[in-house]
This record gives sequence, structure tokens and C-alpha cells, in this order.
Amino acid sequence: MDYRIDRRRRGEMNRRIGTLASIVLAASLGAAPSRAADDVTQAKDLTSVIALLGLPCGQVKSVVRLGENDNVATCENGMRYRVFINAEGRVVAQKQ
Amino acid sequence: MATPSPATAKASPPLDLKSLETRLKATERIGVFTKLALKNQVDDLLDQFRAYYGGKLKVTLTELRQRYDLLVLKVLALLQDADPPLAQAIASSREAIWGILSDRAKFASV
Repeated sequence: MDYRIDRRRRGEMNRRIGTLASIVLAASLGAAPSRAADDVTQAKDLTSVIALLGLPCGQVKSVVRLGENDNVATCENGMRYRVFINAEGRVVAQKQ
Repeated sequence: MATPSPATAKASPPLDLKSLETRLKATERIGVFTKLALKNQVDDLLDQFRAYYGGKLKVTLTELRQRYDLLVLKVLALLQDADPPLAQAIASSREAIWGILSDRAKFASV
């Protein structure tokens, strides 16, 4: 095999891999902000709800989604609440 | 030369209950759970007024006023940073809405 052809092929392959990596990286950076933004919005929503229900929390720091309209919120004071909509259409926050 | 007077905030015209409901539903500054929790609490208060006017709830209008004021304060605390114009509109409407709730005939049309 011609050594020069081998080097050309390796170079092309490396460029393609580099291009593919750039595309994947750009896609992930593009996706991350909107997911992060959704997480912030949801945390703010649950912070407001828990405050409206008169429960101690401060800011909600993290949210774990259990299902449709069903989340567990972890507060900055360490409290955890399951926040969900019950069968009667009421928002409920249960201490976990 | 006369110094210009400082600009004063334009007070929002009072909202009726229907307009208030529409604006609360429409605002994008509070989330879905928060809107639903607010609706729950407003519905609870309206149920108390219905029970009061139906003679089923042994409270005074003063006690209902306290509950109403507490709910308004909660709503204002929520909206004052998230949606200041709506918070201002609600603050301006506070007495007008109480005027409807505390009048049996007006409340019946709510």
C-alpha cells in the first residue's frame, strides 16, 4: 500500500470525525440552554406554589419529574415536597 | 424656570372579576401550577362567600374581609416582581372587587 495514500485517508477520516464531533457538540450546546431554561421555569413555578400553600421552603433547588403534573421539589431548606394535581383538580404539596 | 414634577405612575383602572381572571390566565410570568393553585384558593374563597350568603357558614363579613385581604396579599407578593403591571391592576381593583363580593345582590351575579 502506498504510504502517502494512507496518510491522505487518515487525514480525511480525522477531519470527518472532527466535523461530526463539532456538529454533536453544537447540537448539545443548543439543546442544553432550553432544557436548563425549562428547569429554571419549573423550579420557579413550584417555588411559588409551595409558598402559596404556606409551606416552608425558600427557593426550590431541584425538581424530579414523577409523571404528568407530578413532581418532587427539593427546597433550599432541605425540605422535599411532592407537588401534584389530585383527582379533584387541586394542587397538593405533600411533605416527603 | 419651574422644575418638572416627577413622573407619577399611572394608576391602572380597576378590573372587574372577569377581566382579572382573564389576565391571570393569560400572563406568562407565572407557571401552570401556580395559576391552578391560585384558582383553587380563589374558588375556595368564593365558596365561603356562597356559604355565608346561604347562611351555612358562621363567619362575619369582617372575617371574610381578612381572608380576602390575605389572598390579595399572596397574589400581589407573587406578581409584584413577575408581572408588575398586573400586580398594579390588582392592587387598584382591590376595593372594587370587595365591593362586589360584600354585596349580596352583586355577588349573586358573579
